[in-house]
Amino acid sequence: MRRRDALRTLTASAVALASSRLWIHLLAEQDWAPAILTAAQNDQVVALTEAIIPATGTPGAKGALVNRFIDHALADAGEAQRRAFLDGLAWLTDHSRAEFGTDFATSAAAQQAALLTRIDDDGPVADADRPGADFFHALKGMTISGYYSTEIGLRQELGDDGRMVLAEFEGCTHPEHQG
Amino acid sequence: MTMQIISPAKVYPVIVIGSGASGGMAAWNLTRQGIEVVLLDAGEKFDRATYWTHVTPWEARERRGRGERAPQFFLDTRESPYATPTGRPFELTRVWGHGGKTNVWGRVSLRLSDVNLKEPARDGWEIPWPIAYADIAPYYDRVDQLIGVCGGDDDSDILPGSRFHLPPPAPRCAERLIQKGAKTLDIPFVPTRRANRTRSVRGSIPCHYCGNCGAGCDVAAFFCSADHLLPEALATKKLEIRSNAVVSRIITDASGLATAVQYFDRRTGAERQVRGKVVVVGASCVDSTRILLNSTSRTHPNGLGNGSDVIGRYLCEQIRFHANGYLPALAGGPTRNDRGIGGEHLYMPRFNHRPGHTRDYLRGFGAQMWNTGASSGGAHGGSEKIPGFGIGLKQEIKRRHPAWFEIHPYGEVLPYADNRITVDAAKLDRFGVPTIRIDYRVRENERKMTEHMADTVEEIVKAAGGVFVNYNRGDLDGNGTAIHEHGTCRMGDDPKRSALTAFNRMHEVRNVYVVDGSAFPTATEKNPTLTILALAWRATDHLAAELKKGTL
Ligand SMILES: Cc1cc2nc3c(=O)[nH]c(=O)nc-3n(C[C@H](O)[C@H](O)[C@H](O)COP(=O)(O)OP(=O)(O)OC[C@H]3O[C@@H](n4cnc5c(N)ncnc54)[C@H](O)[C@@H]3O)c2cc1C
Ligand code: SF4
Repeated sequence: MRRRDALRTLTASAVALASSRLWIHLLAEQDWAPAILTAAQNDQVVALTEAIIPATGTPGAKGALVNRFIDHALADAGEAQRRAFLDGLAWLTDHSRAEFGTDFATSAAAQQAALLTRIDDDGPVADADRPGADFFHALKGMTISGYYSTEIGLRQELGDDGRMVLAEFEGCTHPEHQG
Repeated sequence: MTMQIISPAKVYPVIVIGSGASGGMAAWNLTRQGIEVVLLDAGEKFDRATYWTHVTPWEARERRGRGERAPQFFLDTRESPYATPTGRPFELTRVWGHGGKTNVWGRVSLRLSDVNLKEPARDGWEIPWPIAYADIAPYYDRVDQLIGVCGGDDDSDILPGSRFHLPPPAPRCAERLIQKGAKTLDIPFVPTRRANRTRSVRGSIPCHYCGNCGAGCDVAAFFCSADHLLPEALATKKLEIRSNAVVSRIITDASGLATAVQYFDRRTGAERQVRGKVVVVGASCVDSTRILLNSTSRTHPNGLGNGSDVIGRYLCEQIRFHANGYLPALAGGPTRNDRGIGGEHLYMPRFNHRPGHTRDYLRGFGAQMWNTGASSGGAHGGSEKIPGFGIGLKQEIKRRHPAWFEIHPYGEVLPYADNRITVDAAKLDRFGVPTIRIDYRVRENERKMTEHMADTVEEIVKAAGGVFVNYNRGDLDGNGTAIHEHGTCRMGDDPKRSALTAFNRMHEVRNVYVVDGSAFPTATEKNPTLTILALAWRATDHLAAELKKGTL
């Protein structure tokens, strides 16, 4: 329960971080290096976030550099939250090595999907997979906060026209929506 | 060495404390009648040139990356701390600076009606209002014209109409669908009434529909006291504003009348006094109450004008919750620009008093809708609840993006004698002035009302074909977060049970008027500022007349 609480706080604070100043810095940095994650952990996070929001017609989480956002969120978090996240990441890495003989980042797309489906707590989750599920739930929230706070997420993907000055507000013109 | 001596010798006709809705209106209305005013405000003027109003979310992000900071409107609690009992938080939001909270307010501008004003007399809970709609109506008309309020031409028992509304903004698709669903339940949603200038008012720039009013409006297209009242008052040459003047006490003479106001310079901590014939208090409910309770003297041992012991008691605001979800009928449609005037374009007035409705509690609730439609902040706070991951998740987030809705019902909290603000002589602020303690909780009546609010929202969403996301029935927002504090210096006919007359003058101190929300005997389900403006105008008309008669 403590682990879940820690992860929950982490996800919640990521919402606020999505509009923080450092996050922008991180996006702009040419030779960015993670502050918390090791290079190997960072690779896993890149692969995981991209599995959550993949590139389609628009860039995915990898293209939007959401891994940097997550490293930043971890740097900003309390020790308990950071521990819970890194434990969860270790759980996932251990499982993909044991099951696929390779890291999550280097395993096949189908293997990745199978593992994530198992720990996606929107479906049934086995007790043994609980630590993975709690971690994945937190990671998903953070990935969404990070991705949809970028111009890629907001403008390219969601189609926000970015117009801040309109002479008139048109509103709903659909006859079928009128009372 | 030279020493600067600020001479307290000058006696101003009127001292106004605070420059928000209430104090700004008092200063405006007195100076235009030729009465000289000194206005003390705890803060400074915010600089509109620095606002981040017409800035997209991603541009805002880039600016932060460059180390820029948007103006900080809200007072850091550490600067003026307050205490609450363990386990009973009260989230107090204050803006210290010219214009007060009107720099960032939600602008919802609803008239009280006789349903609200006559209800306490009818149901017997606490004291009646000493005024009726007919007393305020002419002032509502004037305020609507002065500040610019958009709205429809609807008029009902609960929401009296206005001939002076500017055109309301068109509803968004999601709002239309909610309205349509509610109509099948005989629950009306009407055009919202908000102090956004959808048309120019006396030469002002009209609203651009950027939806970013919470960042302050850099073109002053919504009503803010600092933009629309103080400049006109200054132009009369009858107004002197003293900024960074944090008022601590009102000083009285042996007869108990106010003679001066003590304040501290916010930057240097220096103590100052200013003398005046009349004092108008408008520091916002909680800060005004603190000043009054700290103004003790031999004639006012319990705080200024508080022989009745009502000041500080009966603190009341509103209960509220958030019901969020999406409308499958709109999912997958184009992403429209739904920014609008920032917040809802339709409002659900209270209906539970009408024939055909029953309730097992007193008073009622209305509802706002905030960010309905495509949320400009990005994927709506609920997208993480969408099941799955991968392409399916990404597509579903996009599909729902134009289809989100929010409903936020606001319900009246009854006045209770022990929902109370007190001052603590053992806990002083940095100027040595006693800080406040807020003891506030909601009770059985509010619990029953919450049930009805939840039933109503659930029926409306069902009728509109909506799906809740992240909705937990019964989860109320934190106390204080409605930011509509009232009741702690209430008006009434009975001086034993109220602190102010029907004209906001203290029963016990005839040269002190209190013109903010603390004067309201009840919170009602409505946002208070339009009424604060109307009553401050009315009170200062009374004050001006008394000054002319020489009775102050
Ligand atoms: C985010 C937000 C949304 C809101 N939405 C709405 C809405 O939609 N509709 C609505 O009706 N209301 C809304 N409100 C509330 C509205 O802003 C207030 O009702 C209104 O501003 C109250 O006016 P006031 O004069 O009492 O206080 P304020 O506007 O807060 O002004 C108080 C003034 O007193 C000064 N002051 C405080 N203490 C001292 C002191 N010790 N000495 C000297 N000066 C002092 C401050 O500097 C300030 O200028 C909202 C508020 C916020 C923050
Ligand atoms: S929506 Fe209108 S009033 Fe609000 S900030 Fe934009 S231009 Fe100003």
